[in-house]
Amino acid sequence: MGIKEEREIQKHGQDIINQFSVILRTAQIHDPANIAVMTAVERFLSLINQLTESGTSINLELVGEYFYIDETRIRYSMEYLLNFDFLIREFKRREIGKIVFMSNLQPKDIQIFLKAFIAAGFSDTPYETMSDITGESDNLEISRLQKILEGEQVDVRKVIKKVYFNAVSYTRGVMTKIQAGEKVNIKKAKRVVESMVDHILEEENLLIGMTAIKEYDEYTYHHSVNVSILSIALGQRLGLSKKVLTELGLVALFHDIGKIEIPSEVLNKSTNFTEDEWKVIRRHPIWGVKAILKIRGVDFTASRAAIVAFEHHMNYDLSGYPKVAKHSELDFFSRIVSLADQYDAMTSSRVYSRIPLSPDKALSIMMERAGSQLDPLLFKFFINMVGVFPIGTLVMLDTKELGLVYESNTVFADRPRVLIIIDRQGKRVSGPVVNLTEKDEQSRYYRSIIKTLDPNKYKINLAEYLL
Amino acid sequence: MEISEESKEARDIIQNLIKSKKTIRMYPQNNPIYAKILEDSYTRFKSFFDYHESIVLSIKQNSILYDNEQIYYNPDKEDNLALFFFKDGLRELTFKKGLMREELEEFLKIIALDFDRDAIDDDVVTLLWEKDFQNIQYVVDEAFLADADEEDYSIKTEEKAKEKVTDVNDLMKAYEDGFVQEDVKGISIVPLTDNDLQMLVKELEKDSSEKIGKLTLILFEIIYQSEDKTDVEQAFTFLKDAINFSMKHGDMETAIEVMRKAKKILENPLMAENEKRYMMLLPSYLGTDEIISLLADILDSGIEIDTTIYDEFVAHLEKNAIEPLIKYLGELKTIRARKNVIEALISIGKKDIQALSRGLDDQRWYVVRNIIYILRRIGDRRAIDYLLKTVKHSDIRVRKEGIKALGDLGGKEGIQTLRECLDDTDMQIRVAAAKSFASIGSEAPKRILLDKIAEKSFKDKDFEEKKEFFEAISRWKDPEIFDFLVKILKTKSFFGRAKLYESKACALLCLGLLGNKDALPLLYKYQDSGNKLLRDFSLSAIKKLEYGN
Repeated sequence: MGIKEEREIQKHGQDIINQFSVILRTAQIHDPANIAVMTAVERFLSLINQLTESGTSINLELVGEYFYIDETRIRYSMEYLLNFDFLIREFKRREIGKIVFMSNLQPKDIQIFLKAFIAAGFSDTPYETMSDITGESDNLEISRLQKILEGEQVDVRKVIKKVYFNAVSYTRGVMTKIQAGEKVNIKKAKRVVESMVDHILEEENLLIGMTAIKEYDEYTYHHSVNVSILSIALGQRLGLSKKVLTELGLVALFHDIGKIEIPSEVLNKSTNFTEDEWKVIRRHPIWGVKAILKIRGVDFTASRAAIVAFEHHMNYDLSGYPKVAKHSELDFFSRIVSLADQYDAMTSSRVYSRIPLSPDKALSIMMERAGSQLDPLLFKFFINMVGVFPIGTLVMLDTKELGLVYESNTVFADRPRVLIIIDRQGKRVSGPVVNLTEKDEQSRYYRSIIKTLDPNKYKINLAEYLL
Repeated sequence: MEISEESKEARDIIQNLIKSKKTIRMYPQNNPIYAKILEDSYTRFKSFFDYHESIVLSIKQNSILYDNEQIYYNPDKEDNLALFFFKDGLRELTFKKGLMREELEEFLKIIALDFDRDAIDDDVVTLLWEKDFQNIQYVVDEAFLADADEEDYSIKTEEKAKEKVTDVNDLMKAYEDGFVQEDVKGISIVPLTDNDLQMLVKELEKDSSEKIGKLTLILFEIIYQSEDKTDVEQAFTFLKDAINFSMKHGDMETAIEVMRKAKKILENPLMAENEKRYMMLLPSYLGTDEIISLLADILDSGIEIDTTIYDEFVAHLEKNAIEPLIKYLGELKTIRARKNVIEALISIGKKDIQALSRGLDDQRWYVVRNIIYILRRIGDRRAIDYLLKTVKHSDIRVRKEGIKALGDLGGKEGIQTLRECLDDTDMQIRVAAAKSFASIGSEAPKRILLDKIAEKSFKDKDFEEKKEFFEAISRWKDPEIFDFLVKILKTKSFFGRAKLYESKACALLCLGLLGNKDALPLLYKYQDSGNKLLRDFSLSAIKKLEYGN
């Protein structure tokens, strides 16, 4: 395939995905017979039918986080960012892996698909519902999402854990080496971060879930990895390319490297810091710059890492530290890392404030800070990413069950998957994981969150449940 | 052991990859050999894909397997393709049927890299990952990312994290509280608007701007906030690195910005001496061989140079830059680059004429000539001492430039040397010396020239040389010269009349140049001369005097 042909496929592919997404989004708001839906359908059909004129069909397939059109991966387009995201989520939700559009596709075929799509949204067996209804069309075929078909979920969790701990172990090694004045292998850092990027693209929820567990002894290393994961995940939402995500992840991994200079008796102090100790702690951004440049010298990545290390506590309005005489606005990466850093620090128990907050409480505080200390635009993306009930949130359900948020739901933010830890009889259990989008025959939700509680207050060890 | 036909084909592909790896490393992209090996490699893949959907290669430490059959084996540590992949964790490599030529070429370029020699920050897996090939896939063993002694880190940490089992009483307390606490208010998802996306696009566009400039700002901030000597010393080292790095990337502005800020520190009475001491060292760093070589690369690169930026950069240079500038002056390939360096040397050379003059000992004649030109442009008479030797240089172009410079600089010291040049065996040198005397324009050179013309042997000189000498004396527009010329015109001789006519023609020419109209009657006399040369020259001189041209 030549470059020109490849570009054409990309263009058509992006248009198809975008337009298909427009139809589904519009149909969620309006009746399928509405003019807005019909217009979108017509546009989509003219696109598809033009490409299937010669009698061929078109396959739209979801593999991981990417769409493929006839086996060509369609690149994420900034312009269509939201529509791409939407379609991926909706495909996953309904367990759709592939749609085959035959030639001579008619409006009625799309109407059948819309009917199936809407019905599946309320079904406990969404794929089966989709499959049943779309069977009415001769010009459409769907297949189940590969991952769900193969039941790989259990192994994926293992892989994710491995990725997470590899990253922590690497970070630990790096910090120890720097302290000992030894050479640091940056190639390895890149590989570690690439691995995280890959898994965030594939299993964002699971890797973010790892950051919710705060019961590890070595806070600094875990915090660095958590900030890296949260930053990559946010970067992905912002439509950054894989390469840029790696740079962001790498930079985030090293954001706190200056802390190696803080005397351990200060860093690990169990009581509140004195003003002098605070002064020492406030030097860590400067030490970070020096540590990074000492490892790598000056190059593009090191510069970026040094900038972020310096700026990550400066705040969006420059009200934080270090205080500087004159400074232009914070670097884009600094603003991302700041969000991830604040969130992870606030929800962890070994931070300077000493008060670990529940995830939702942390988000509320961050919301108040958006516009002053935090970038308001990026915060919007951030809150959408972690969800209103982030993983690890302790929730009371209307069924008198107590649970922990196990997986966020990016579409229905208030309806995550919850791991039940006390059942309705008030007995301690460890599971099941329930989906709060599940409904009964009367279309009433089986379960809803009525209250959130602070897991820290009750010394609930999230690792026990989420690892 | 006999292997299948299919595996033989796969083996051929591997052998070809090894060959391509070497060729691609050796030849530039536009070389026919490069193109041929790429084509050859691609053709092999294509014919394999005529019958197969993909080729999956298993990578072991010293071998590569296709369909469980060993198709490559190499126990050596050097030039071992299997080990090359294996050491970075690559365990399986798949080429799919849709493999494009461009993909194969990019793949070959990656494996052709010399990871040991080149300062590459990435391993083979990272490079493959960044390329994100559509039809080349791989499987990586990530286990090696953890240190050997950290292999069980995840297990230990997980076990430890799970150890702290939640107390059932705490859990029950949470459950109880769940019934009495306030209802959840929560926070809601914030819908993204089109405006948000537009703002994001703008942010992303803005983000592409360079970062080194910002880093230098931070480094200065570290200096301002320094608590000890080490802070300043390290920041100074990093600033030097930043200058070096930006220059490597063709960016002079960052270096200038650093210098501007350093200057501010120097001018700030509140800054400590230690900080100032380091800042004073920065201009010297700018003039080191290391940075000047990068400057030379920029100048030779063909990139459009903003003269304001270049001039400011040069203005920050100190005299230590003179030596490297001279060195690279001789190495630059483009005239434009050389001109830029010459201008820089004219500007900095003033700071150390002696250092600049050392360039006169350069082995390359053109460098010596350039240095003479620079000294001439600087116009500092201290250069005369150094220039004297240049009139004896082995290359005539250098000698001429030296003579010219001595003429421009004037001074007694040069006159004697120039006088000797008037007797040089080479006419070009004699003429150049005469011209230089004219440039000096003082009484002594006039006398020397008049004496030279008055010598008996002068009339035997080449006509062109004579003309140059007369033109030279026309610089002194005084009665003595006028009388001297008239005297020549009145000279009579029966012998060597042709030569005498040449001298007279030159005198006519010179009278025209003097601009004294008193010469007209005499000139009219010659306009009807039987000698064509005298006729022509008198007419020309008359024209000059009467009409000014």
